[in-house]
Amino acid sequence: MPESDVMSRPRALENVRVVDFSWVRAGPWATRWLGVLGAEIIKIEWPENERGRLPSTTTPQHLEVNLNTSGNFNDTNVNKKSLSLNVRSAKGLEIVKRLIAISDIVIENFSSRVLQNWGLGYQEQCKIKPDIVYVSMSGYGHTGRYHHYTTFGPVAQAVSGLTYISGLPDKPPAGWGWSYMDDTGGIYGAMCALTGLYHRNMTGQGQHIDLSQMVSSVPLNGPALLDFTVNGRGSRRPGYPPGNRAHWPGTPLINNYRGPTVAPHNAYRTDPGGYNDWCVIVCHSDEEWQRLVQVMGAPSWAALPKFATVAGRLEHQQELDDKIEAWSMTVGKYKLTERCQAAGVRAIPIQSAEDRVEHDPQLRHREMYLEMEHPALGRHKVQNAPFKLSETSAENRLPSPLIGQHTREIVEGLLGYSHEELRAGFADGTFWPTRRALFPYMAEMLE
Amino acid sequence: MSDAQSLPGPLAGLRILELADETGQFCGKLLGDLGADVVKIEPPGGEACRRVGPFLDDVPHPERSLSFWYYNTSKRGITLNLHTTDGRQLFGRLVAASDVILETFRPGFLASLDLDYQSLRKQNSGLIMCALTPFGQTGPWRDYLSSDLLHMAAGGEMASSGYDEADVPNAPPTAPGGGNAWHTGCHFAYLAIMGALVYRTVSGRGQYIDASIHEACALTTEAAIANYVYRGEVLRRQTGRHHAANPTPRTQFRAKDGTYVCALVAGRLNPKYIGELADLLDTNRMAGDLRDPKYQDPAVIAANTSHIIDDLVANFIASLPAEEVYHAAQERGFTWGAVRAPEELLNDPHLHDRGFWKEVEHPELGRSFVYPGEAAIYNGSPWRISRRGPLIGEHNTEIFCDELGLSRSELSVLAESRVI
Repeated sequence: MPESDVMSRPRALENVRVVDFSWVRAGPWATRWLGVLGAEIIKIEWPENERGRLPSTTTPQHLEVNLNTSGNFNDTNVNKKSLSLNVRSAKGLEIVKRLIAISDIVIENFSSRVLQNWGLGYQEQCKIKPDIVYVSMSGYGHTGRYHHYTTFGPVAQAVSGLTYISGLPDKPPAGWGWSYMDDTGGIYGAMCALTGLYHRNMTGQGQHIDLSQMVSSVPLNGPALLDFTVNGRGSRRPGYPPGNRAHWPGTPLINNYRGPTVAPHNAYRTDPGGYNDWCVIVCHSDEEWQRLVQVMGAPSWAALPKFATVAGRLEHQQELDDKIEAWSMTVGKYKLTERCQAAGVRAIPIQSAEDRVEHDPQLRHREMYLEMEHPALGRHKVQNAPFKLSETSAENRLPSPLIGQHTREIVEGLLGYSHEELRAGFADGTFWPTRRALFPYMAEMLE
Repeated sequence: MSDAQSLPGPLAGLRILELADETGQFCGKLLGDLGADVVKIEPPGGEACRRVGPFLDDVPHPERSLSFWYYNTSKRGITLNLHTTDGRQLFGRLVAASDVILETFRPGFLASLDLDYQSLRKQNSGLIMCALTPFGQTGPWRDYLSSDLLHMAAGGEMASSGYDEADVPNAPPTAPGGGNAWHTGCHFAYLAIMGALVYRTVSGRGQYIDASIHEACALTTEAAIANYVYRGEVLRRQTGRHHAANPTPRTQFRAKDGTYVCALVAGRLNPKYIGELADLLDTNRMAGDLRDPKYQDPAVIAANTSHIIDDLVANFIASLPAEEVYHAAQERGFTWGAVRAPEELLNDPHLHDRGFWKEVEHPELGRSFVYPGEAAIYNGSPWRISRRGPLIGEHNTEIFCDELGLSRSELSVLAESRVI
């Protein structure tokens, strides 16, 4: 879509303003999605305790690592504005309160008592803005005896049972190779904010929504939990978790909470045998299995009666998987996918990040990664929304902000302070630490 | 029970029509548990995910699927055959009185029945329709078949998860279980629907949403895309911890009881942390040489990282049950956790304090069962499971007769001709 068309389309959250105190991943990932839907996100930052920008492991090799050169920060914070502000100063707190008074949503992911200790708990926010929607995204929530415990994604995943369900039987948990619950916890933050906003628009009532990263992980194990509360079956049992299979050979036949119990259901090496040269193949029925047999060229082994039924394929799963892999290793993963899918067989390549960005024809067609210009990083691909709305734009419009980039715009333009007050705030440490060098764009905004 | 508990949920007053299989039923649950009136429309005889186990007492039956139970709380259920003209007419009448349609049919299916968005919105300009499909409505993979495992492969989850070579030689990329491809698609679909609903409160206009599970999964690997885009790095899988361009110290340790602890230590090591770590390890007299003044020097710490993590921390954790390590560490400010099996959460006092577990009545069985509760506490408009998942066609009379005005005899005729 031409850029001019994108810019002229309405946005679902036009005129919604969000005060965003969030820092490490889950919080910024939440407000990213409010921003893409059109809300004005005002990210309140302080360089001394910033944890989303530094330390950076995603700064391009040719650039200096500094507050403005984290690639992952850029992708996580598109469509936002940055106000650098010392909220722990009296003047900073006063500015925050004036901002909340003209905002719709406050969102933060500090430990459970931080905002209250600043004098910005929900009751205080209500005095400033009676219908505010306040979403707190703490590790364990604001309620409950362990509210003071802290999480990062891997810990929330461990304590909630999500780590345990990933891996091979009789091995340590493989877990999730990233902070799934920073991603998903972030999405829950956005879901809570929009749900609260809808409720406010319909009733005029705001509220505090107490989201917990650890607790929000637990409902993601629903069927396993019901198997325990209803049937008394625990998940520390032989054959669980079953790796990529629906069922581990040689263990009691039982559903393992990832759909129907069938074989084949596994990952298989493909040509040329590199680190990510794998595909997955799943057959949900005898018909799908017979289609796979045809794709493989109807080898004689596949005609053996022991492979003709689901029960037989489950019983002889190891042999089945070995035979399938002997075939799959002769084919590239994209070619294999095309041939299988053309015949109605569930198969797809395992894709690395490089594969998704460079080789996935579907993501390319859907314009999942489009380039944006960033003043410090240059031109790079940024991830787009996984949905398209017919009326309102869900396209990225702004790169991530440089730290404090919009301080003048917000303080003078939005809040009505004078330019002299802005300069005084820089001089007294309200908008930037006095002993820290200003970035050139800050010096410019003070001229 | 406080007054807030009797208030309606935040989505009270919304009517959702759900035509969803295993890929989208969780989105309907998310909406229903927050107060929307979700009407699940199943084909006569019931939706195929009723055949997914495990089953109550391991007796397979479409009314005993625990997977179906879990993903269909707070919904009413009707049956309707959209392949019949009568069925489509009844569907049209339901659409006229609804706010949102959530559908997971293969692209083009509803259009082939003249039930595409443009046709349906003629009678309801505020209608929001969300099509949630594996790959979206367009593109070369549009009609590809999928499964939870396929999405974890294509989305990048598997490329990031697995084992160190030392732990499991030649380990495959490993897909986390539990159906999280469907969860991920449903979370984003929920987000898009809520965005459209908020827009409608202001504009009065509905819209069509084309949501893709593949794209949702491809977005859900934290910094993997940024590592590639900005540095050209492809990350390696490691046991129980983050993917990385270069190997990082382990974070998962075996406890005395044979279960594991997730202990994030590397990257945090500085003189102050060493002192706190010594205090923690000393609770079981296992601080070793950590109190040696040499550790006031960051360079010495860096040179001894492996000793601190692989000897001292590992031995400390090996000396205690995982739950004890978890609480001892957290009470001292360490972001560590026990690696628990899901059912061990039933004993978690924090979840009990939050009223997390819910008793859900199954009146047809004369029993009630414990279900997991809410991700977040909505203090002004509570989350709740308003009813267990619907039986097949349980609300046919209520909706077709009481709400749409059909007579009981008309309903019988429709049942005979397999319209419902």
